[in-house]
Amino acid sequence: MNNAMIRYILGQVLRIEGILMLLPCIVAVIYREKEGFVILGVAALCFFLGTLATIRKPKSHVFYLKEGCVATALSWIIMSIFGSLPFYLTGTAPTFVDAMFETISGFTTTGSSILTDVEAVSRSVNFWRCFTHWIGGMGVLVFLLAVIPLSGGSHINLMRAESPGPSVGKLVPKIKYTARILYIIYIGLTLVQIILLLIGHMPLYDALTITFGTAGTGGFAIKSDSIAGYSSYLQWVITIFMILFGVNFNAYYLILFRKFKKAVEIEEVRYYFLVIAAATAFITWSLCNTAMGFAEALKHAAFQVASIITTTGFATVDFNYWSGSCQTILVLLMFIGACAGSTGGGIKVSRFVLLIKTVKKELNSYIHPKSIKKIKVDGKPVEHEVVRSTNVYFITFMILFVLSVFLVSLEGKDLVTTFTAVATAINNVGPGLALVGPMENFAHLSDLSKVVLMFDMLAGRLELFPLLILFHPSLWKDAFHQKVRKTKRATAR
Amino acid sequence: MFGKKTSVKRGLKIIIVGCGKVGVTLVEQLSKEGHDITIVDKNAGKIQEIANYYDIMGLAGNGASFSVQMEAGIEKADLFIAVTESDELNLLCCTVAKQVGDCATIARVRTPDYSQEAAYLREKLGLTMIINPELEAAREAARILFLPSALETHPFARGQAELIKFAVPDNNVLDGMTIAQMGEKLAKEVLVCAVERGEDVYIPDGDFQIQKGDILSFVAPRKMTKPFLKQIGFQTTRVANTLIIGGGKAAFYLAKQLIPMGLSVKIIEQDKERCEELSILLPEAVIINGDGTDQELLEEEGLSWVESFVPLTGIDEENILLTLHARQVSHAKVITKINRITFKDVINRLDLGSVIYPRYITAEAIIAYVRARKNSMDSNIETLYHMYDSQVEAIEFRVDAPSAVTDVPLMDLSLKKNLLVACIFREGKILIPSGQDCIREGDSVMIVTTNTGFEDIRDILL
Repeated sequence: MNNAMIRYILGQVLRIEGILMLLPCIVAVIYREKEGFVILGVAALCFFLGTLATIRKPKSHVFYLKEGCVATALSWIIMSIFGSLPFYLTGTAPTFVDAMFETISGFTTTGSSILTDVEAVSRSVNFWRCFTHWIGGMGVLVFLLAVIPLSGGSHINLMRAESPGPSVGKLVPKIKYTARILYIIYIGLTLVQIILLLIGHMPLYDALTITFGTAGTGGFAIKSDSIAGYSSYLQWVITIFMILFGVNFNAYYLILFRKFKKAVEIEEVRYYFLVIAAATAFITWSLCNTAMGFAEALKHAAFQVASIITTTGFATVDFNYWSGSCQTILVLLMFIGACAGSTGGGIKVSRFVLLIKTVKKELNSYIHPKSIKKIKVDGKPVEHEVVRSTNVYFITFMILFVLSVFLVSLEGKDLVTTFTAVATAINNVGPGLALVGPMENFAHLSDLSKVVLMFDMLAGRLELFPLLILFHPSLWKDAFHQKVRKTKRATAR
Repeated sequence: MFGKKTSVKRGLKIIIVGCGKVGVTLVEQLSKEGHDITIVDKNAGKIQEIANYYDIMGLAGNGASFSVQMEAGIEKADLFIAVTESDELNLLCCTVAKQVGDCATIARVRTPDYSQEAAYLREKLGLTMIINPELEAAREAARILFLPSALETHPFARGQAELIKFAVPDNNVLDGMTIAQMGEKLAKEVLVCAVERGEDVYIPDGDFQIQKGDILSFVAPRKMTKPFLKQIGFQTTRVANTLIIGGGKAAFYLAKQLIPMGLSVKIIEQDKERCEELSILLPEAVIINGDGTDQELLEEEGLSWVESFVPLTGIDEENILLTLHARQVSHAKVITKINRITFKDVINRLDLGSVIYPRYITAEAIIAYVRARKNSMDSNIETLYHMYDSQVEAIEFRVDAPSAVTDVPLMDLSLKKNLLVACIFREGKILIPSGQDCIREGDSVMIVTTNTGFEDIRDILL
């Protein structure tokens, strides 16, 4: 293990976090809030510690998959620890566990909150809270790759560990430019949304924070009733942008370079829109039956479907009062999630496309036992390795899910609350049903449950394995042995 | 805040088809130079492997197909290199690429049938370059056999000057001499341009003292090299006969080079059919059908008295073992061909004598072309060699236009450190420059430096 390189990357991540924290400080200056000093202090601390860790450049830049995973997982944990300090030190969150929960929920773009009264939070702290969504959406390591000259090609492992989806590729030969293109698309879409919200007469502060929540597919809102209080125009804009941020960014790249035909041919994106259309149609029909006008029903249905499938977690109505079938659809959408290569969470549409095709192939093999048929996606045969890892991902996901449900159930809450709390955390959605519904919060859970959910959120965002690998004993043995060997060599001299 | 900004210019867009040995070397060397590289190969697993190590994009598919080339971005590519196993596929790839993308194309063609018509193929198919690693390796081996006391020889300035590398043996006149003394006592027209001592490489100045065991590289006009080597006590006559193990393409090319010069060539090849082929193609050579790694056979065919020995089997380990064996039992000049570059440190520690790396030779030619493409049009790279494990570059620039470096005495130019203007080729004559000489328009200038990555003659300035 290249410990020096991991230390260097962690240091750079901290430095970037320190710099990003200056933004809420500016907000504090504008609104003359004294919380700004606390945030500024934390920012300075991050920058200082980060610089300290990056002073000594690592000698060897060798970087394999395991280093990539470990660096990514540790980066996210450290980022969350320091990111939670503003909440804890300003007293916004009552305990450190609560502060961590809020931050991890932010960075992993979940959007579950422990705050009982969002509107009482100071504007600068609330800005940081929403901004964590934007940072976590595309990933801080991808940002790192875009701005820092790291030599060697093995840094694709960093991106692979952080980016969602079964197979992560590059858009252009150099990873640096790939990361830049992703961020340019991300920033571009963010700006367009901010402008469209401003046109709808939304105040600038609201427009910024809500756009951060939409872009990262996070879901922290600055109002207690989430998005319900805004006009229909604004709700539609948010609906559309939630869906757009859940699309595979490769599609935007192809559109940018005028390869429209190829962009349309991406199977995953087509299925994604198909699922959204079907779910919206069903819920609209169901809502129309409850004496709601068609336009109103369509608006609410589309908003909630978009919010849940992209794992954003905004809400315009309390769907706790919807019919059982509508709620079930929403819970299923949580698991499907957005496209791979987007900012959304969940298991990802592309994985489901693969899984369903695998099932179809299996059925076929019962009819023609000796037939050989390769699974194809986008007209290209899928490597057996990808199919295998998708299957393993799904199984691991389910095991983790069931274990978490059990641990949270020790709390003694009802099954719907327990089940949806875990589902919403592991899929990075935000709201669940019953006691953790869209107009409720997570403050009433015990610390144990919160820790379990925090783990689930991180595992869901990093796609399980980069986080789970931290628990592999040989990894630590490896790092430890290196230390021992070094000290032995030192004493031998 | 994000550390030093490296001033890398935006690289060229290069597509490489074929991830064999040559393909991987090219990826390694060209990605070091900062180009945007896309590789295409039918084997997806192999691509994945390479893409994990280098910052490049991989694409699985047939490199000759139009749609695959489009996906690889042929329309915007600057250079297309085809180095698959098959010559025909390489030529087809390049022909398609030429039509679709109108970019520069380089194909590997190594079958003797085609390589004799290389010039014709190149012109008719509009290729920029045809590379043939086996032929290049054979040429280099032949050059060494003509001057067996050298470890390596590289021609410069259309063969008018030579860059020669040799080891200083025990009890040599050079041991303990400084470079300045050597110039006064022995030869004025010889310039020592790089010295390897232990693991370090120096670009020496006049006060540098030579020690035994140093590996020296010097530049001299072609006609001066032999007298100089004779003066310092080396044998300079070329070898009279050679024993080649393995009858592959490289062996054929080498024999083809040596036979006209009057050397007697003996080739040991295992495959009977290939032996028969070779006997038709090379009637003057003695072809032996047998196992080249059989110690008895080697003894029978005179390994102990032969003047040179060149193992050219396809397996590096065999070549190395044969070399080590030959160095024990005979005084023959031995040249080892190494295809793969793994375990390079181990190989460097072994006392192998002359080693040639066909893949590097090819990569050097392409890098020279690529660097010349990147710079402005007023200077051009004629030749480029990597020496001492790529720590030193020797580059020959053609100066086509006046610039900051021309018409100024060299002593007045503020040159980079660890850099030597080693020789100037002007109007058909070789000039070993002193401080008073200046570079003029139309010259070919050879630079030896440890600063790698020069693209333009002006890069020599600070």
